[in-house]
Amino acid sequence: MIYNFAIIFSVVFILFIINLVRKNKLDEKYSILWLIFGTIILVVSIFPQIIIKVAEWFNVYYPPALLLLFAILVLGTYIVHITITITKQNKMIVKLTQELAILKEKNEKEAKNEKL
Amino acid sequence: MEEKNIKVLVIVPAYNEEESIKNVVDSVIEQDVDVVVINDGSKDKTSENAKKTKASIIDLPCNLGIGGAVQTGYIYAYMNKYDIAIQIDGDGQHDPKYIKEMVQMIKEKKADMVIGSRFVNKTEYKQTFFRKLGINITSIIIKIMTGKKIYDTTSGYRAVNKEIIKYFSENYPYDYPEPDTNMRLILKKKTILEIPVEMKKRETGQSSISPLKSVSYMLKVSLALILNRVKKI
Repeated sequence: MIYNFAIIFSVVFILFIINLVRKNKLDEKYSILWLIFGTIILVVSIFPQIIIKVAEWFNVYYPPALLLLFAILVLGTYIVHITITITKQNKMIVKLTQELAILKEKNEKEAKNEKL
Repeated sequence: MEEKNIKVLVIVPAYNEEESIKNVVDSVIEQDVDVVVINDGSKDKTSENAKKTKASIIDLPCNLGIGGAVQTGYIYAYMNKYDIAIQIDGDGQHDPKYIKEMVQMIKEKKADMVIGSRFVNKTEYKQTFFRKLGINITSIIIKIMTGKKIYDTTSGYRAVNKEIIKYFSENYPYDYPEPDTNMRLILKKKTILEIPVEMKKRETGQSSISPLKSVSYMLKVSLALILNRVKKI
């Protein structure tokens, strides 16, 4: 039952991401990680034995723990990636704000000088 | 003409300082220097009141915080080829009478940056407990990390030469800019001199450091300073 739900969920998730890219609401470069993530969830839900096999390789006693660890690593990495993007964008916004304000001041000054 | 014309710009960052800004700017202009007011997206009449003076006014369309605002002044100084830039707070706590002395020290190449400091000699300035603690902690960290002692690490009253105007126009931290830039300049082997200045209690407005945020401020500024050691600066 839960496997069926997981399959449906991951298919919907992948379609949702593709739709966002299609509508230009999400950049391709950001969608790749989500598509990989969705595909892995899909594969694992169709063949749950994979988890058990991998857990055996890593000597993990409780296989679902491996799944959680994997999810946390992926999400953690993604959040770091997002904060890097925010930092970059913040720098751009500050730069734009500064340049715009300086240009505006220059314009106003020139307009004033022309009047005289 | 014993010296070629040295252009001096005073940068006045102001956020919601409608009551003090006009007096501050007028008293700075008396020192015979160019003044640019950086209005950091104020919600009050800071811009209108500043426009009653002879200063140039740059209105930032949104609030960037002290670092972004002051950097705007340095970019302006760099674009307009100023030789010396001086930062002075818009709230009236810095007395412009020290500008001449600071300019003189930069002109004579005694230092790359001159800081108007509360603590080189004891002045009458009364500190709040947290402010003092913050200054002491940043001062100690800078001393440990660089071996140089800066007494008033958070002073926003400082003068820099042309080379540093260029550096600041390209690199200026948005958060805790004063202690951070002090440390960066020491790491870049620039000389910093502190001169004693008297500071007045803020005439109007609110200090940017509230006691509640102080603990978080100190943790973050300490981390920022320590990371400077490993950063590309």
